[in-house]
Amino acid sequence: MLDRFATITRWLSRVLMFIGAAGIAVMTAIIGWQVFGRYVLNASPAWTEQAALVLMVWFVMFGAAAGVHEGFHIRIGVFVEALPLRIRTVCRALALLIIAACGIALAIWGTQLVLAVWSHVIPTLGISRGIAYLPLPVSGGLITLFAIERLAELAAGRERGRMEGRV
Amino acid sequence: MELAILLGTLLLLLAIGVPVAFALLGATLVAFFVLDLPAIVVVQRMASGMSVFSLMAIPFFIFAGELMHRAGIAARLVRIAEAAFGRSRGGLGQVDVGASMLFGAVSGSAVASVSALGSTLMPMMKEKGYDTDYAVNVTSTSAVVGLLIPPSHNMIIYAAAAGVGVSVGELFIGGIIPGLLTGALLMFVAWLVAVKRNYPRGEFPGWPAFMAAFAAALPGLMTAVIIVGGILGGFFTATESSSIAVIYTLAVAVLVYRSLSFRAFLDATLAAARTTAMVLFIIGAASAFGWVLAILETPSQLAALILSLTDNPILILLIINLILLMLGTFMDMSPLIVITTPIFLPIAVGLGIDPVHFGVIMMLNLGIGLVTPPVGSVLFVGAAVGGMRMEETVKTIWPFYGALVAALMAITYLPFLTMGLVELMRG
Repeated sequence: MLDRFATITRWLSRVLMFIGAAGIAVMTAIIGWQVFGRYVLNASPAWTEQAALVLMVWFVMFGAAAGVHEGFHIRIGVFVEALPLRIRTVCRALALLIIAACGIALAIWGTQLVLAVWSHVIPTLGISRGIAYLPLPVSGGLITLFAIERLAELAAGRERGRMEGRV
Repeated sequence: MELAILLGTLLLLLAIGVPVAFALLGATLVAFFVLDLPAIVVVQRMASGMSVFSLMAIPFFIFAGELMHRAGIAARLVRIAEAAFGRSRGGLGQVDVGASMLFGAVSGSAVASVSALGSTLMPMMKEKGYDTDYAVNVTSTSAVVGLLIPPSHNMIIYAAAAGVGVSVGELFIGGIIPGLLTGALLMFVAWLVAVKRNYPRGEFPGWPAFMAAFAAALPGLMTAVIIVGGILGGFFTATESSSIAVIYTLAVAVLVYRSLSFRAFLDATLAAARTTAMVLFIIGAASAFGWVLAILETPSQLAALILSLTDNPILILLIINLILLMLGTFMDMSPLIVITTPIFLPIAVGLGIDPVHFGVIMMLNLGIGLVTPPVGSVLFVGAAVGGMRMEETVKTIWPFYGALVAALMAITYLPFLTMGLVELMRG
Protein backbone atom coordinates (compact mmCIF):
# COMPACT_ATOMS: atom_id res chain seq x y z
CA MET A 1 0.00 0.00 0.00
CA LEU A 2 2.64 2.50 1.13
CA ASP A 3 4.96 1.22 -1.59
CA ARG A 4 2.37 1.92 -4.26
CA PHE A 5 1.73 5.39 -2.81
CA ALA A 6 5.48 6.07 -2.81
CA THR A 7 5.84 4.91 -6.42
CA ILE A 8 2.99 7.13 -7.58
CA THR A 9 4.32 10.23 -5.83
CA ARG A 10 7.84 9.55 -7.12
CA TRP A 11 6.60 9.45 -10.70
CA LEU A 12 4.36 12.43 -10.19
CA SER A 13 7.25 14.47 -8.83
CA ARG A 14 9.45 13.41 -11.73
CA VAL A 15 6.80 14.38 -14.29
CA LEU A 16 6.37 17.76 -12.56
CA MET A 17 10.13 18.38 -12.76
CA PHE A 18 10.17 17.51 -16.46
CA ILE A 19 7.27 19.89 -17.06
CA GLY A 20 9.29 22.48 -15.16
CA ALA A 21 12.33 21.87 -17.37
CA ALA A 22 10.20 22.10 -20.52
CA GLY A 23 8.68 25.30 -19.13
CA ILE A 24 12.05 26.98 -18.69
CA ALA A 25 13.09 26.00 -22.24
CA VAL A 26 9.83 27.26 -23.75
CA MET A 27 10.08 30.48 -21.75
CA THR A 28 13.55 31.09 -23.18
CA ALA A 29 12.19 30.55 -26.67
CA ILE A 30 9.26 32.93 -26.08
CA ILE A 31 11.44 35.83 -24.90
CA GLY A 32 13.95 35.04 -27.65
CA TRP A 33 11.08 35.27 -30.12
CA GLN A 34 10.10 38.64 -28.67
CA VAL A 35 13.58 40.03 -29.44
CA PHE A 36 13.59 38.36 -32.85
CA GLY A 37 10.18 39.88 -33.57
CA ARG A 38 11.31 43.37 -32.64
CA TYR A 39 14.59 43.42 -34.56
CA VAL A 40 14.00 41.06 -37.45
CA LEU A 41 10.26 41.13 -38.11
CA ASN A 42 9.95 44.77 -37.01
CA ALA A 43 6.89 43.91 -34.98
CA SER A 44 6.92 43.26 -31.24
CA PRO A 45 4.53 40.46 -30.46
CA ALA A 46 2.15 41.69 -27.76
CA TRP A 47 1.54 38.35 -26.11
CA THR A 48 5.08 37.22 -25.32
CA GLU A 49 5.81 38.84 -21.93
CA GLN A 50 2.48 37.93 -20.36
CA ALA A 51 2.62 34.41 -21.76
CA ALA A 52 6.14 33.84 -20.41
CA LEU A 53 5.10 35.23 -17.04
CA VAL A 54 2.04 32.99 -16.72
CA LEU A 55 4.19 30.04 -17.81
CA MET A 56 6.81 30.90 -15.19
CA VAL A 57 4.31 30.92 -12.31
CA TRP A 58 3.03 27.53 -13.51
CA PHE A 59 6.40 25.85 -13.64
CA VAL A 60 7.69 27.48 -10.46
CA MET A 61 4.66 26.19 -8.55
CA PHE A 62 5.04 22.72 -10.08
CA GLY A 63 8.73 22.72 -9.25
CA ALA A 64 8.03 23.95 -5.71
CA ALA A 65 5.65 21.01 -5.19
CA ALA A 66 8.16 18.52 -6.60
CA GLY A 67 10.68 20.14 -4.25
CA VAL A 68 8.65 18.91 -1.28
CA HIS A 69 9.04 15.37 -2.61
CA GLU A 70 12.70 15.74 -3.52
CA GLY A 71 13.46 17.78 -0.41
CA PHE A 72 15.40 20.52 -2.17
CA HIS A 73 13.81 23.49 -0.38
CA ILE A 74 16.45 25.34 1.60
CA ARG A 75 16.11 25.11 5.37
CA ILE A 76 18.12 25.52 8.57
CA GLY A 77 19.35 22.12 9.68
CA VAL A 78 21.91 22.82 12.42
CA PHE A 79 19.55 23.27 15.36
CA VAL A 80 17.50 20.19 14.61
CA GLU A 81 20.53 18.03 13.89
CA ALA A 82 21.99 18.84 17.30
CA LEU A 83 18.95 17.24 18.99
CA PRO A 84 18.57 13.61 20.06
CA LEU A 85 17.12 11.31 17.42
CA ARG A 86 13.64 11.01 18.90
CA ILE A 87 13.07 14.78 19.18
CA ARG A 88 14.57 15.19 15.74
CA THR A 89 11.97 12.83 14.32
CA VAL A 90 9.21 14.76 16.09
CA CYS A 91 10.55 18.01 14.59
CA ARG A 92 10.65 16.45 11.16
CA ALA A 93 7.06 15.27 11.49
CA LEU A 94 6.01 18.73 12.69
CA ALA A 95 7.79 20.37 9.76
CA LEU A 96 6.01 18.07 7.32
CA LEU A 97 2.67 18.79 8.99
CA ILE A 98 3.30 22.51 8.62
CA ILE A 99 4.20 22.04 4.97
CA ALA A 100 0.97 20.07 4.49
CA ALA A 101 -1.00 22.81 6.26
CA CYS A 102 0.54 25.45 3.96
CA GLY A 103 -0.42 23.26 1.01
CA ILE A 104 -4.02 23.03 2.20
CA ALA A 105 -4.13 26.80 2.74
CA LEU A 106 -2.82 27.40 -0.77
CA ALA A 107 -5.36 24.96 -2.18
CA ILE A 108 -8.38 26.44 -0.38
CA TRP A 109 -7.69 30.16 -0.66
CA GLY A 110 -6.05 29.73 -4.03
CA THR A 111 -9.25 28.19 -5.35
CA GLN A 112 -11.26 31.08 -3.92
CA LEU A 113 -8.86 33.52 -5.62
CA VAL A 114 -9.17 31.73 -8.96
CA LEU A 115 -12.99 31.78 -8.72
CA ALA A 116 -12.99 35.44 -7.70
CA VAL A 117 -11.01 36.58 -10.76
CA TRP A 118 -12.30 34.00 -13.25
CA SER A 119 -14.29 36.59 -15.23
CA HIS A 120 -11.28 38.93 -15.61
CA VAL A 121 -9.48 38.53 -18.91
CA ILE A 122 -5.74 39.16 -19.45
CA PRO A 123 -5.96 41.64 -22.35
CA THR A 124 -2.89 40.59 -24.35
CA LEU A 125 -3.65 36.88 -24.10
CA GLY A 126 -7.43 36.74 -24.17
CA ILE A 127 -7.52 34.15 -21.40
CA SER A 128 -8.90 34.35 -17.89
CA ARG A 129 -6.77 35.87 -15.13
CA GLY A 130 -7.78 32.77 -13.19
CA ILE A 131 -5.43 30.70 -15.40
CA ALA A 132 -2.52 32.75 -14.05
CA TYR A 133 -3.55 32.01 -10.43
CA LEU A 134 -4.61 28.39 -10.98
CA PRO A 135 -1.10 26.92 -10.41
CA LEU A 136 -1.20 28.06 -6.77
CA PRO A 137 -4.15 25.91 -5.66
CA VAL A 138 -3.02 23.04 -7.91
CA SER A 139 0.45 23.17 -6.39
CA GLY A 140 -1.09 23.49 -2.92
CA GLY A 141 -2.88 20.17 -3.46
CA LEU A 142 0.32 18.53 -4.73
CA ILE A 143 2.37 19.91 -1.82
CA THR A 144 -0.15 18.42 0.61
CA LEU A 145 -0.02 15.07 -1.18
CA PHE A 146 3.79 14.93 -1.15
CA ALA A 147 3.98 16.01 2.49
CA ILE A 148 1.48 13.32 3.50
CA GLU A 149 3.45 10.68 1.60
CA ARG A 150 6.61 11.66 3.45
CA LEU A 151 4.75 11.68 6.77
CA ALA A 152 3.54 8.16 6.02
CA GLU A 153 7.10 7.06 5.27
CA LEU A 154 8.31 8.70 8.46
CA ALA A 155 5.59 6.90 10.45
CA ALA A 156 6.65 3.63 8.82
CA GLY A 157 10.18 4.36 10.01
CA ARG A 158 11.77 4.64 6.59
CA GLU A 159 12.07 8.34 5.89
CA ARG A 160 14.91 8.46 3.44
CA GLY A 161 16.78 11.31 5.08
CA ARG A 162 15.66 13.91 2.62
CA MET A 163 15.25 17.51 3.72
CA GLU A 164 18.92 17.34 4.62
CA GLY A 165 19.78 19.03 1.38
CA ARG A 166 19.70 22.73 1.19
CA VAL A 167 20.00 23.61 -2.44
CA MET B 1 2.16 42.36 19.56
CA GLU B 2 1.14 41.15 16.12
CA LEU B 3 4.71 41.76 14.99
CA ALA B 4 6.00 39.61 17.85
CA ILE B 5 3.64 36.81 16.82
CA LEU B 6 4.74 37.08 13.17
CA LEU B 7 8.47 37.05 13.92
CA GLY B 8 8.13 34.55 16.76
CA THR B 9 6.29 32.09 14.53
CA LEU B 10 8.87 32.56 11.80
CA LEU B 11 11.80 31.90 14.15
CA LEU B 12 10.10 28.89 15.71
CA LEU B 13 9.32 27.35 12.33
CA LEU B 14 12.86 28.00 11.07
CA ALA B 15 14.35 26.50 14.23
CA ILE B 16 12.47 23.21 13.94
CA GLY B 17 13.70 22.83 10.37
CA VAL B 18 10.72 23.95 8.29
CA PRO B 19 12.04 25.02 4.86
CA VAL B 20 12.44 28.81 4.65
CA ALA B 21 9.66 29.30 2.08
CA PHE B 22 7.12 27.38 4.17
CA ALA B 23 8.25 29.07 7.38
CA LEU B 24 7.60 32.48 5.75
CA LEU B 25 4.25 31.30 4.40
CA GLY B 26 3.21 29.69 7.69
CA ALA B 27 4.11 32.78 9.75
CA THR B 28 2.22 34.95 7.26
CA LEU B 29 -0.89 32.76 7.53
CA VAL B 30 -0.78 32.85 11.34
CA ALA B 31 -0.46 36.64 11.27
CA PHE B 32 -3.43 36.86 8.92
CA PHE B 33 -5.59 34.90 11.35
CA VAL B 34 -4.48 37.03 14.27
CA LEU B 35 -5.16 40.23 12.32
CA ASP B 36 -8.40 38.77 10.96
CA LEU B 37 -7.48 39.58 7.35
CA PRO B 38 -8.85 37.61 4.38
CA ALA B 39 -6.34 34.80 3.70
CA ILE B 40 -7.12 34.91 -0.01
CA VAL B 41 -4.86 37.97 -0.07
CA VAL B 42 -1.86 35.83 1.01
CA VAL B 43 -2.21 33.74 -2.14
CA GLN B 44 -2.71 36.84 -4.25
CA ARG B 45 0.40 38.52 -2.80
CA MET B 46 2.41 35.37 -3.42
CA ALA B 47 1.32 35.19 -7.04
CA SER B 48 1.91 38.88 -7.68
CA GLY B 49 5.28 38.73 -5.92
CA MET B 50 6.40 36.13 -8.44
CA SER B 51 4.70 37.63 -11.51
CA VAL B 52 7.19 40.42 -12.09
CA PHE B 53 8.67 40.86 -15.56
CA SER B 54 12.17 41.60 -14.38
CA LEU B 55 12.24 38.51 -12.14
CA MET B 56 12.04 36.38 -15.29
CA ALA B 57 15.73 37.12 -15.71
CA ILE B 58 16.47 34.85 -12.71
CA PRO B 59 15.61 31.54 -14.41
CA PHE B 60 17.51 32.70 -17.50
CA PHE B 61 20.70 33.59 -15.63
CA ILE B 62 20.53 30.34 -13.66
CA PHE B 63 19.92 28.39 -16.86
CA ALA B 64 22.81 30.09 -18.67
CA GLY B 65 25.09 29.37 -15.70
CA GLU B 66 24.15 25.68 -15.69
CA LEU B 67 24.77 25.44 -19.43
CA MET B 68 28.17 27.16 -19.14
CA HIS B 69 29.18 24.80 -16.38
CA ARG B 70 28.20 21.68 -18.35
CA ALA B 71 29.58 22.90 -21.66
CA GLY B 72 33.03 23.38 -20.16
CA ILE B 73 33.03 27.17 -20.50
CA ALA B 74 34.01 27.42 -16.84
CA ALA B 75 37.03 25.20 -17.47
CA ARG B 76 38.16 27.51 -20.31
CA LEU B 77 37.87 30.54 -18.05
CA VAL B 78 40.04 28.74 -15.51
CA ARG B 79 42.74 28.36 -18.16
CA ILE B 80 42.88 32.12 -18.80
CA ALA B 81 43.14 32.80 -15.09
CA GLU B 82 45.81 30.14 -14.80
CA ALA B 83 47.91 31.77 -17.49
CA ALA B 84 47.47 35.18 -15.88
CA PHE B 85 47.94 34.45 -12.16
CA GLY B 86 49.35 30.92 -11.90
CA ARG B 87 53.00 31.78 -11.28
CA SER B 88 52.75 33.45 -7.87
CA ARG B 89 53.14 31.55 -4.59
CA GLY B 90 49.97 29.48 -4.13
CA GLY B 91 49.08 30.55 -7.65
CA LEU B 92 46.03 28.33 -7.90
CA GLY B 93 44.38 30.39 -5.16
CA GLN B 94 44.79 33.50 -7.33
CA VAL B 95 43.59 31.51 -10.33
CA ASP B 96 40.50 30.53 -8.37
CA VAL B 97 39.61 34.14 -7.50
CA GLY B 98 40.37 35.34 -11.03
CA ALA B 99 38.29 32.61 -12.63
CA SER B 100 35.42 33.37 -10.24
CA MET B 101 35.51 37.01 -11.36
CA LEU B 102 35.46 35.96 -15.01
CA PHE B 103 32.67 33.47 -14.37
CA GLY B 104 30.78 36.15 -12.43
CA ALA B 105 30.97 38.27 -15.56
CA VAL B 106 29.23 35.64 -17.66
CA SER B 107 26.85 34.13 -15.12
CA GLY B 108 24.52 35.77 -12.65
CA SER B 109 24.50 33.15 -9.94
CA ALA B 110 26.98 32.54 -7.09
CA VAL B 111 25.83 28.96 -6.56
CA ALA B 112 26.43 28.15 -10.24
CA SER B 113 29.86 29.74 -9.92
CA VAL B 114 30.96 27.71 -6.91
CA SER B 115 29.77 24.41 -8.35
CA ALA B 116 31.21 25.11 -11.81
CA LEU B 117 34.62 26.34 -10.64
CA GLY B 118 34.82 24.07 -7.64
CA SER B 119 34.42 20.95 -9.73
CA THR B 120 37.18 22.17 -12.07
CA LEU B 121 39.64 23.76 -9.65
CA MET B 122 39.36 21.76 -6.44
CA PRO B 123 40.74 18.53 -7.96
CA MET B 124 43.61 20.56 -9.53
CA MET B 125 44.40 22.15 -6.17
CA LYS B 126 44.27 18.88 -4.27
CA GLU B 127 46.59 17.27 -6.81
CA LYS B 128 49.17 20.01 -6.31
CA GLY B 129 49.12 19.60 -2.53
CA TYR B 130 46.69 22.36 -1.49
CA ASP B 131 44.48 21.57 1.51
CA THR B 132 40.80 20.99 0.87
CA ASP B 133 39.68 23.64 3.37
CA TYR B 134 41.72 26.25 1.49
CA ALA B 135 40.26 25.17 -1.85
CA VAL B 136 36.69 25.31 -0.49
CA ASN B 137 37.19 28.64 1.27
CA VAL B 138 38.79 30.39 -1.70
CA THR B 139 36.24 29.08 -4.19
CA SER B 140 33.24 29.88 -1.98
CA THR B 141 34.26 33.36 -0.89
CA SER B 142 35.34 34.37 -4.38
CA ALA B 143 31.97 33.21 -5.77
CA VAL B 144 30.53 36.10 -3.73
CA VAL B 145 32.45 38.52 -5.98
CA GLY B 146 30.24 37.32 -8.84
CA LEU B 147 27.27 38.95 -7.08
CA LEU B 148 28.87 42.35 -7.68
CA ILE B 149 30.24 41.83 -11.17
CA PRO B 150 27.49 42.17 -13.75
CA PRO B 151 25.27 40.41 -14.63
CA SER B 152 23.85 39.49 -11.24
CA HIS B 153 20.39 38.10 -10.76
CA ASN B 154 20.25 39.31 -7.18
CA MET B 155 20.61 42.90 -8.42
CA ILE B 156 17.51 42.29 -10.51
CA ILE B 157 15.61 41.12 -7.42
CA TYR B 158 16.79 44.28 -5.66
CA ALA B 159 15.68 46.53 -8.53
CA ALA B 160 12.26 44.83 -8.49
CA ALA B 161 11.97 45.13 -4.69
CA ALA B 162 13.07 48.79 -4.72
CA GLY B 163 10.23 49.65 -7.08
CA VAL B 164 10.34 52.19 -9.85
CA GLY B 165 13.36 54.34 -10.42
CA VAL B 166 16.21 51.93 -9.80
CA SER B 167 17.82 50.93 -13.06
CA VAL B 168 19.25 47.45 -13.47
CA GLY B 169 21.78 48.84 -15.94
CA GLU B 170 23.09 51.35 -13.37
CA LEU B 171 23.30 48.65 -10.70
CA PHE B 172 25.31 46.51 -13.09
CA ILE B 173 27.75 49.36 -13.79
CA GLY B 174 27.89 50.31 -10.12
CA GLY B 175 28.98 46.79 -9.20
CA ILE B 176 32.06 46.69 -11.44
CA ILE B 177 34.65 48.58 -9.33
CA PRO B 178 33.40 47.13 -6.00
CA GLY B 179 33.62 43.68 -7.59
CA LEU B 180 37.19 44.25 -8.77
CA LEU B 181 38.17 45.63 -5.36
CA THR B 182 36.66 42.69 -3.47
CA GLY B 183 38.35 40.27 -5.87
CA ALA B 184 41.72 41.99 -5.37
CA LEU B 185 41.40 41.80 -1.57
CA LEU B 186 40.52 38.10 -1.75
CA MET B 187 43.51 37.47 -4.02
CA PHE B 188 45.75 39.20 -1.49
CA VAL B 189 44.42 37.07 1.37
CA ALA B 190 44.62 33.89 -0.72
CA TRP B 191 48.27 34.76 -1.37
CA LEU B 192 49.00 35.45 2.33
CA VAL B 193 47.50 32.15 3.43
CA ALA B 194 49.28 30.30 0.61
CA VAL B 195 52.66 31.75 1.66
CA LYS B 196 52.02 30.81 5.27
CA ARG B 197 51.13 27.26 4.31
CA ASN B 198 54.00 27.07 1.84
CA TYR B 199 51.94 26.11 -1.19
CA PRO B 200 53.79 25.56 -4.50
CA ARG B 201 54.45 28.19 -7.13
CA GLY B 202 53.05 27.72 -10.62
CA GLU B 203 54.80 28.54 -13.87
CA PHE B 204 53.89 31.17 -16.43
CA PRO B 205 53.12 29.23 -19.59
CA GLY B 206 54.26 32.10 -21.83
CA TRP B 207 52.34 34.65 -23.86
CA PRO B 208 51.45 32.35 -26.75
CA ALA B 209 49.78 29.94 -24.33
CA PHE B 210 48.00 32.85 -22.64
CA MET B 211 46.68 34.14 -25.96
CA ALA B 212 45.58 30.63 -26.94
CA ALA B 213 43.69 30.23 -23.66
CA PHE B 214 42.11 33.64 -24.16
CA ALA B 215 41.05 32.82 -27.73
CA ALA B 216 39.52 29.53 -26.61
CA ALA B 217 37.50 31.26 -23.89
CA LEU B 218 36.54 34.30 -25.98
CA PRO B 219 33.21 32.97 -27.32
CA GLY B 220 32.14 32.26 -23.74
CA LEU B 221 33.32 35.66 -22.50
CA MET B 222 31.32 37.36 -25.24
CA THR B 223 28.20 36.50 -23.20
CA ALA B 224 29.18 39.23 -20.75
CA VAL B 225 29.56 41.73 -23.58
CA ILE B 226 26.18 40.78 -25.02
CA ILE B 227 24.34 41.06 -21.73
CA VAL B 228 25.90 44.24 -20.40
CA GLY B 229 26.24 45.88 -23.81
CA GLY B 230 22.69 44.93 -24.76
CA ILE B 231 21.24 46.49 -21.63
CA LEU B 232 23.39 49.63 -21.61
CA GLY B 233 22.94 50.20 -25.32
CA GLY B 234 19.19 50.01 -24.86
CA PHE B 235 18.87 47.11 -27.29
CA PHE B 236 17.35 44.72 -24.78
CA THR B 237 15.72 44.82 -21.38
CA ALA B 238 17.51 42.91 -18.60
CA THR B 239 15.07 40.03 -19.03
CA GLU B 240 15.54 39.89 -22.78
CA SER B 241 19.31 40.06 -22.55
CA SER B 242 19.34 37.15 -20.11
CA SER B 243 17.26 34.98 -22.45
CA ILE B 244 19.61 35.96 -25.30
CA ALA B 245 22.49 34.87 -23.04
CA VAL B 246 20.88 31.42 -22.74
CA ILE B 247 20.38 31.11 -26.49
CA TYR B 248 23.89 32.39 -27.20
CA THR B 249 25.45 30.01 -24.66
CA LEU B 250 23.57 27.11 -26.22
CA ALA B 251 24.79 28.14 -29.66
CA VAL B 252 28.41 28.41 -28.51
CA ALA B 253 28.24 25.10 -26.64
CA VAL B 254 26.66 23.19 -29.50
CA LEU B 255 28.17 24.87 -32.59
CA VAL B 256 31.57 26.19 -31.47
CA TYR B 257 32.74 24.01 -28.59
CA ARG B 258 30.65 20.94 -29.53
CA SER B 259 30.81 20.06 -25.87
CA LEU B 260 27.18 19.74 -24.82
CA SER B 261 25.46 16.37 -25.12
CA PHE B 262 21.67 16.13 -25.08
CA ARG B 263 21.92 14.44 -21.70
CA ALA B 264 23.97 17.37 -20.34
CA PHE B 265 21.46 19.82 -21.81
CA LEU B 266 18.62 17.97 -20.09
CA ASP B 267 20.52 17.96 -16.79
CA ALA B 268 21.19 21.70 -17.10
CA THR B 269 17.50 22.36 -17.76
CA LEU B 270 16.36 20.24 -14.82
CA ALA B 271 18.91 21.82 -12.49
CA ALA B 272 17.82 25.29 -13.62
CA ALA B 273 14.15 24.40 -13.07
CA ARG B 274 14.90 23.19 -9.53
CA THR B 275 16.89 26.26 -8.52
CA THR B 276 14.35 28.60 -10.14
CA ALA B 277 11.43 26.92 -8.39
CA MET B 278 13.21 27.15 -5.05
CA VAL B 279 14.27 30.78 -5.44
CA LEU B 280 11.01 32.14 -6.88
CA PHE B 281 8.81 30.20 -4.46
CA ILE B 282 10.75 31.80 -1.60
CA ILE B 283 10.39 35.20 -3.27
CA GLY B 284 6.62 34.66 -3.50
CA ALA B 285 6.38 33.70 0.18
CA ALA B 286 8.69 36.59 1.13
CA SER B 287 6.44 39.03 -0.75
CA ALA B 288 3.41 37.91 1.28
CA PHE B 289 5.48 38.14 4.47
CA GLY B 290 6.75 41.60 3.52
CA TRP B 291 3.19 42.70 2.89
CA VAL B 292 2.21 41.80 6.46
CA LEU B 293 5.24 43.74 7.73
CA ALA B 294 4.04 46.74 5.72
CA ILE B 295 0.51 46.41 7.15
CA LEU B 296 2.00 46.43 10.64
CA GLU B 297 3.97 49.56 9.67
CA THR B 298 7.21 47.85 10.63
CA PRO B 299 9.33 49.75 8.09
CA SER B 300 8.41 53.18 9.44
CA GLN B 301 8.65 52.03 13.07
CA LEU B 302 12.08 50.52 12.53
CA ALA B 303 13.19 53.66 10.71
CA ALA B 304 11.97 55.78 13.62
CA LEU B 305 13.77 53.50 16.07
CA ILE B 306 17.07 53.68 14.22
CA LEU B 307 16.80 57.44 13.73
CA SER B 308 16.03 57.90 17.43
CA LEU B 309 19.33 56.18 18.27
CA THR B 310 21.45 58.43 16.11
CA ASP B 311 21.26 60.78 13.16
CA ASN B 312 24.84 60.17 12.15
CA PRO B 313 24.80 58.64 8.63
CA ILE B 314 28.03 56.72 9.26
CA LEU B 315 26.57 55.03 12.33
CA ILE B 316 23.21 54.40 10.69
CA LEU B 317 24.89 52.67 7.77
CA LEU B 318 26.90 50.62 10.25
CA ILE B 319 23.71 49.62 12.09
CA ILE B 320 21.98 48.65 8.83
CA ASN B 321 25.05 46.67 7.77
CA LEU B 322 25.15 44.83 11.11
CA ILE B 323 21.44 43.98 10.95
CA LEU B 324 21.78 42.70 7.39
CA LEU B 325 24.89 40.66 8.24
CA MET B 326 23.05 39.07 11.13
CA LEU B 327 19.95 38.31 9.09
CA GLY B 328 22.16 37.04 6.26
CA THR B 329 23.58 34.27 8.38
CA PHE B 330 20.11 32.87 9.05
CA MET B 331 18.25 33.53 5.83
CA ASP B 332 18.94 33.12 2.18
CA MET B 333 19.78 36.14 0.07
CA SER B 334 16.76 36.46 -2.20
CA PRO B 335 14.00 36.53 0.47
CA LEU B 336 16.06 39.00 2.49
CA ILE B 337 16.35 41.33 -0.49
CA VAL B 338 12.57 41.18 -0.97
CA ILE B 339 11.80 41.72 2.73
CA THR B 340 14.46 44.22 3.80
CA THR B 341 14.74 46.49 0.75
CA PRO B 342 11.43 48.27 1.45
CA ILE B 343 12.51 48.66 5.09
CA PHE B 344 16.07 49.98 4.73
CA LEU B 345 16.12 51.66 1.33
CA PRO B 346 13.88 54.59 2.45
CA ILE B 347 16.15 55.18 5.46
CA ALA B 348 19.23 55.13 3.22
CA VAL B 349 17.64 57.45 0.67
CA GLY B 350 16.64 59.76 3.52
CA LEU B 351 20.35 60.01 4.40
CA GLY B 352 21.14 61.01 0.83
CA ILE B 353 22.49 57.63 -0.26
CA ASP B 354 21.88 56.71 -3.86
CA PRO B 355 19.67 53.59 -4.29
CA VAL B 356 22.34 52.16 -6.63
CA HIS B 357 25.03 52.58 -3.98
CA PHE B 358 22.78 51.03 -1.34
CA GLY B 359 21.98 48.12 -3.66
CA VAL B 360 25.67 47.32 -4.16
CA ILE B 361 26.26 47.47 -0.38
CA MET B 362 23.36 45.08 0.10
CA MET B 363 24.67 42.62 -2.51
CA LEU B 364 28.05 42.24 -0.83
CA ASN B 365 26.59 42.27 2.68
CA LEU B 366 24.03 39.54 2.01
CA GLY B 367 26.64 37.76 -0.12
CA ILE B 368 28.75 37.34 3.02
CA GLY B 369 25.70 35.58 4.48
CA LEU B 370 25.92 33.05 1.64
CA VAL B 371 29.27 31.85 2.96
CA THR B 372 28.40 31.80 6.68
CA PRO B 373 26.71 28.89 8.44
CA PRO B 374 24.08 27.88 9.42
CA VAL B 375 22.44 28.92 6.14
CA GLY B 376 25.19 29.54 3.64
CA SER B 377 24.09 28.03 0.37
CA VAL B 378 27.33 28.90 -1.46
CA LEU B 379 29.62 27.55 1.26
CA PHE B 380 27.37 24.51 1.55
CA VAL B 381 27.74 23.73 -2.17
CA GLY B 382 31.46 24.51 -2.07
CA ALA B 383 32.01 22.14 0.85
CA ALA B 384 29.94 19.46 -0.87
CA VAL B 385 31.99 19.77 -4.07
CA GLY B 386 35.21 19.59 -2.04
CA GLY B 387 33.94 16.60 -0.07
CA MET B 388 34.28 18.24 3.34
CA ARG B 389 31.84 19.20 6.09
CA MET B 390 30.88 22.87 6.17
CA GLU B 391 31.64 22.97 9.93
CA GLU B 392 35.23 21.88 9.20
CA THR B 393 35.98 24.35 6.41
CA VAL B 394 34.65 27.26 8.45
CA LYS B 395 37.46 26.89 10.99
CA THR B 396 39.99 28.40 8.58
CA ILE B 397 37.75 30.80 6.64
CA TRP B 398 38.41 33.84 8.91
CA PRO B 399 41.04 35.61 6.76
CA PHE B 400 38.65 35.46 3.82
CA TYR B 401 35.79 36.90 5.89
CA GLY B 402 38.25 39.64 6.83
CA ALA B 403 38.77 40.49 3.15
CA LEU B 404 35.02 40.49 2.46
CA VAL B 405 34.22 42.68 5.47
CA ALA B 406 37.04 45.10 4.62
CA ALA B 407 35.63 45.37 1.09
CA LEU B 408 32.12 45.91 2.52
CA MET B 409 33.33 48.77 4.71
CA ALA B 410 35.22 50.36 1.83
CA ILE B 411 32.21 50.12 -0.47
CA THR B 412 29.85 51.44 2.22
CA TYR B 413 31.92 54.48 3.17
CA LEU B 414 33.55 55.35 -0.15
CA PRO B 415 30.51 56.02 -2.37
CA PHE B 416 32.65 56.96 -5.37
CA LEU B 417 33.78 53.34 -5.75
CA THR B 418 30.24 52.50 -6.75
CA MET B 419 28.98 55.82 -8.05
CA GLY B 420 32.03 56.94 -10.05
CA LEU B 421 31.17 54.93 -13.16
CA VAL B 422 27.43 55.45 -12.62
CA GLU B 423 27.83 59.25 -12.50
CA LEU B 424 29.95 59.03 -15.63
CA MET B 425 27.14 57.14 -17.33
CA ARG B 426 24.47 59.56 -16.11
CA GLY B 427 26.60 62.31 -17.62
